[in-house]
Amino acid sequence: MDKTYILDNGFLERYVLGELDANEKQQVSDALRQYPELKSHLEAIELSFEKLAFENAIDAPNSLKNEVLQKISNASSKPISIAPQKSLRSYFNLAASIAALLFIGSIYMFTQLNATKKRLEVVEQENSKLNSNLENLNNDLAETNKWYVTINDPDVQKYVLTGNALMPEATVISYVNNIDKSVVINTKYLPELDDEHDYQMWADVKGEMINMGVIDKTKAMLAMNYIANAESLNITIEPAGGNDHPTVSNLITNVYLN
Amino acid sequence: MSDDKALILNLQSKNETALGLIYDKYSAALYGVIIRICKDEDAAKNILQDTFMTIWEKSDSYDFDKGRFYTWAYRIARNKTLNFLRKSDKLIQVEDLSVYKDRTEDETDNLDHLKLKGTIKRLEAHHQRAIELVYFNGLTHREAHEEMNVPLGTFKSYIKQALKQLQQSYLKLVTFLMVLIEVMR
Repeated sequence: MDKTYILDNGFLERYVLGELDANEKQQVSDALRQYPELKSHLEAIELSFEKLAFENAIDAPNSLKNEVLQKISNASSKPISIAPQKSLRSYFNLAASIAALLFIGSIYMFTQLNATKKRLEVVEQENSKLNSNLENLNNDLAETNKWYVTINDPDVQKYVLTGNALMPEATVISYVNNIDKSVVINTKYLPELDDEHDYQMWADVKGEMINMGVIDKTKAMLAMNYIANAESLNITIEPAGGNDHPTVSNLITNVYLN
Repeated sequence: MSDDKALILNLQSKNETALGLIYDKYSAALYGVIIRICKDEDAAKNILQDTFMTIWEKSDSYDFDKGRFYTWAYRIARNKTLNFLRKSDKLIQVEDLSVYKDRTEDETDNLDHLKLKGTIKRLEAHHQRAIELVYFNGLTHREAHEEMNVPLGTFKSYIKQALKQLQQSYLKLVTFLMVLIEVMR
């Protein structure tokens, strides 16, 4: 639509009054965007009509405003719920439910956490137990290996000391290595003594009994002092802690060396 | 007569207080239009309420670039009133106030306060009538020129001249006020 055509045919006036159909309205809108001077014509017409309306204003009854505001505040809360108070309450209920759920949830989580902590403690204890067991086993293995290596040495000679009439059930196996100068004994088949007494081992060198050490019954395998040129190995029962000289009457076993 | 851009923006973001203020500012002007078109106080009250409901609900569709807020609101009020009259088949009576002449004193008094006042009274009679028909009776240019029994082109020029005179008298008024303010200072 041409600018002059719009002005001459009263399109702006009819645009303001709302008389135009959709198509004409669109054309006037487009022209307004296109020609800024049309906009000032429009504004003048609008202001004249507006002034006219304000000069001829009639106050509507006061109650009407409240009714309108009441209606819009009802209408604006409609999309949420039909009754606003009810909806508010249901929101509170919902919020309370969520809070309760969260609370119960956190208690549950806390209990779970404690249980888990306890379980973890138990597991840790078991773990350290297992670790120490493993360490013991490793130590045992190392010791066993050590003894195994020692007694399997080709230079080792094995002597079995069998109990005499005084203690026939006693048996001690001794491994003597004259090259490495070592003596190892297996005390497994030596009966337990009371707290007052200990077994003590002696080497016979040219008729003299030389102390090889007190036998520690807590150990299955035991290294004793190696005595050079020993002719026999002897075990006596002595007062606890051992003796300077063997009590010959308490000799329980002996073996001659080759 | 500022357009209160901030207020309208608040209205568009669904601020109820803004609607209250918009109501305070525009309701009387709109009510003046509505009641003059329908000449029925009860209907006018309902239509005014309805108009503000629409202003509230459709505020998003008001575009600052396409004209003044009041113009937008006026069109809503006018359309609602004309729709009401079409539905109740009262449109015929509107064009001729003589229909009301036989009514009671009360209603005639009522109609008296609908008489136009202000700057429009300074216009020539046919200009006053033309403006009244299109603006306060809700007639289209086509309906109005038949009502006045003048050619459409003539009627259009009546409206143009009337608006021009209104504009000039407003400008005179504004100038007078400004001079008055200057003098008083």
